[in-house]
Amino acid sequence: MLSQALIEDVLAAALETGGDFADVFVEDKTITTIHMIGGSVESALSGRDYGIGIRVISGLFAVYAYTNDLRRENLLKVARSAAQAIRGTKRDITLDLRVTTLQSAHPVLIVPSSVSKAQKVEAMRRAHVAATAYDPVISQTSVSYKDEDQKVLIANSEGLFTEDRRTRTRLFIEAVATIGNDKSVGTATPGAQSGYEFIENLNIEEQARIAAHTAKTMVNAEFAPSGKIPVIIDNEFGGVIFHEACGHGLESTSVAKKISVFSDKLGEQVASPLVTAIDDGTIQNAWGSSTIDDEGTPTQRNLLIENGILKGYLIDKLGAKRMGMKSTGSARRESYKFAPASRMNNTYIAAGNSTPEEIIANTEYALYAKYLGGGSVNTATGDFNFVVREGYIVKNGKIEKPVRGATLIGKGMDVLQKIDMVGKNLGFGQGMCGSISGSIPADVGQPMIRVAELTVGGRKGE
Amino acid sequence: MTMELSQLKQYVFEKGREYGFSEMEIYYQADRASTVRIFKGDIDSFNTIERAGLSFRGEYQGKMGSAFTEKLDEESIDQLLLAARENAEVTQSDEIAELYEGSAHYQEVAKFSEELFNTDASTLIQTALEMEKAGLAADPRIELLNTCVLVNSNNEIMIVNTKGLDCRSASTTAVCQVSALAKADGAVATAYDSDFSSSSLADLNVKIFGDRVGRDSAEKLGGQTVDSDDYEVIFRNNAIATLLQTYSPIFSGSNAEKGLSVLQGRLGEAVAGSNITMVDDAHLPGAPGNTPFDSEGVATGRTNVIDNGKLVSFLHNLKSAKKAGVASTGNAFKAGYRGDLTTLPNNLYIEPGNQSLDDLIAGTKRGIMIIELQGLHSGTDLISGEFSLSALGHYIEDGKIVRPVNLITVSGNILQLLQNVEALGNDLRFQGVGRGACGAPSLKIKSLSISGK
Repeated sequence: MLSQALIEDVLAAALETGGDFADVFVEDKTITTIHMIGGSVESALSGRDYGIGIRVISGLFAVYAYTNDLRRENLLKVARSAAQAIRGTKRDITLDLRVTTLQSAHPVLIVPSSVSKAQKVEAMRRAHVAATAYDPVISQTSVSYKDEDQKVLIANSEGLFTEDRRTRTRLFIEAVATIGNDKSVGTATPGAQSGYEFIENLNIEEQARIAAHTAKTMVNAEFAPSGKIPVIIDNEFGGVIFHEACGHGLESTSVAKKISVFSDKLGEQVASPLVTAIDDGTIQNAWGSSTIDDEGTPTQRNLLIENGILKGYLIDKLGAKRMGMKSTGSARRESYKFAPASRMNNTYIAAGNSTPEEIIANTEYALYAKYLGGGSVNTATGDFNFVVREGYIVKNGKIEKPVRGATLIGKGMDVLQKIDMVGKNLGFGQGMCGSISGSIPADVGQPMIRVAELTVGGRKGE
Repeated sequence: MTMELSQLKQYVFEKGREYGFSEMEIYYQADRASTVRIFKGDIDSFNTIERAGLSFRGEYQGKMGSAFTEKLDEESIDQLLLAARENAEVTQSDEIAELYEGSAHYQEVAKFSEELFNTDASTLIQTALEMEKAGLAADPRIELLNTCVLVNSNNEIMIVNTKGLDCRSASTTAVCQVSALAKADGAVATAYDSDFSSSSLADLNVKIFGDRVGRDSAEKLGGQTVDSDDYEVIFRNNAIATLLQTYSPIFSGSNAEKGLSVLQGRLGEAVAGSNITMVDDAHLPGAPGNTPFDSEGVATGRTNVIDNGKLVSFLHNLKSAKKAGVASTGNAFKAGYRGDLTTLPNNLYIEPGNQSLDDLIAGTKRGIMIIELQGLHSGTDLISGEFSLSALGHYIEDGKIVRPVNLITVSGNILQLLQNVEALGNDLRFQGVGRGACGAPSLKIKSLSISGK
């Protein structure tokens, strides 16, 4: 990408005014997206992102500049203008960049660019056919395919000089069911940090049927009830509850500034003793994994909560400096257009002791959220919300009937304390996580859990 | 960039012919911006950006293919053209996208300010510090501003094609964003807002803005939930504007035609109460999305979308307009050179009524005034129109605000909501920056389902 000599000059220019740390993030990424509606390809778009982010830190003050004009004179100009914002004293710096060659922890067998678009379209069409064939009530499908191949070069004034390549592929399947004027939608969005072999090994028809099943079930469903009731949340994407309710609050971005409800709580009981939670960026080929983070620190498995006790945070270099702790390899960013920030990789609640059948059978009355959609959280107050894509009422130990239109809200710490059953069926789901450093791929996961009480926002009297 | 623009254009078009494209278009965008983030009286971070890139569209054997690149050298242009050709080959849609030869007349919109263009970093920092001060001073319970950001940017767009289209525009925008955090008696509350100006930092009035957001956060303190029930609901202008913006893709003619909007097949029907008129106007003074042309180079204008409750028009790009047998409304939208072509409003808004927000509150017997909605991207369904959203606000009894409310959700259907508007405020306000932002006055709804305890 860029030569070591040029990077050294850029880092030196960035430190000219006395900054104590500088780093660069060079990115060359190709992206392919294909959209199919009703079985016919509506659009296909490919592109190439290419640029550099230069950061200078002095104390806790960070200056970040990016450009996609990578000519030498411009890079030096941008580095110097970033340095201008630091008003220190010039020091003599000797940069000694040591090249680290990485062995990728996430093997790619089939580089997506080696597969023809026609072949990708064929895989998409299989999803359309299976969703449509599921039931006559399915009135429309929308299928998207995306792959990206991101090459990065990360170097810093501590001597790091390394390159990494991240390849991701994903399929988005959406099925619409229509009865009269009523419509509903179901989705399935599997993805991995892997090559095209992920699509080849994927049971596309099964994924399409999951989306179609949700759409069909929900178009017929009554509205969910309102108020505080017990809630059973199933595995896989159900883990978004931990991601929103707790994960974001453990990021050093807010913890270090003491604006998170979890600030200064290490060693305290923050969750039910049944809860152990982990963020792991090393899971092979998982959607949110990477060999190194976006500051070049190797990713790791971070224990966040053990048997209800808060054990750790998610920390990037700047957060580490603020908190007097070490980076946990959690610095991430959407692209060179964002300064890195502490973020989650693959966050999950560990498996417990109950079978899913036991949990349902032991429940007198609850909302059973089989599939969840996205959500959000206010890390300062801990208030979170997320939607139920496919829900049911459980009565007297049995799944009774489907219900739609439910949103779950609560406070993070509160919901973690109220988890009273944890299942054995740990599974993962893929999502895009949006925050201060952009939109990044992240896995969420959990086994089935039961929360003694949550506010369900349904509709009364309908 | 390694090639000058005019040279680039010529190079791409010449090379494109070699690749077999008959008609071609370049959408070029360049942005520069400085962002200052303040935390506790100090500069927390300072970011500067400069980027440029282009997207290419070309007609190849009767089909349109597109691709984009941020790397502008010969090798990348080759890759770009190859990718675009491959994309054309797999495209199957029976709606054929066409390149546009240009409109007869483009109305100028004043969005470029020499003053903003020349604003230096120290002025920006000084203004952001003033904003933080005002926010902190708004109420003694405000502990800090967890976001205090000022952005000054300028942006250039150029769309040229082989059919003669040549559209260029330049704009400047300053944006302020504040989130204030208030604390009292163990309770924490935050409030967030943003505002913009295309002319000067002074127009942003950061002192008034900071003070307003600060007070909003303090007034949320001590919020409690309410009993689950149906209530009269007032959406304050900012809250209903964000809801409208989330639902704005339902007005896309393309989405409706494909069965991806709750408004599919409803043209000509009463989809809202007779007191609702909704307009998209790209030349509305002071509105965020003003633009002389859309992302296909079509001159923008004013489109009545809902007229006294009746759905009279969808918003169109060239392709969806052709399919519907109408003219494009100038609503083709591309989120910069990296984006795919879609349809979005320029400035979509509900026409205001004549009551003040205080009048709306005074006319409410037992209700909730919603001042913030959360989780909009997930809690709203564009296909069914249904929503169930986490909300914050104030409880009203006998025409008076009694106390703040939190940990509630509000549920309903966007079309039923628009059918049940009892009164409209006179306080039209846009929420958001740039094209696609939406505006609304405060609205009073007869009844909506609120979940609490």
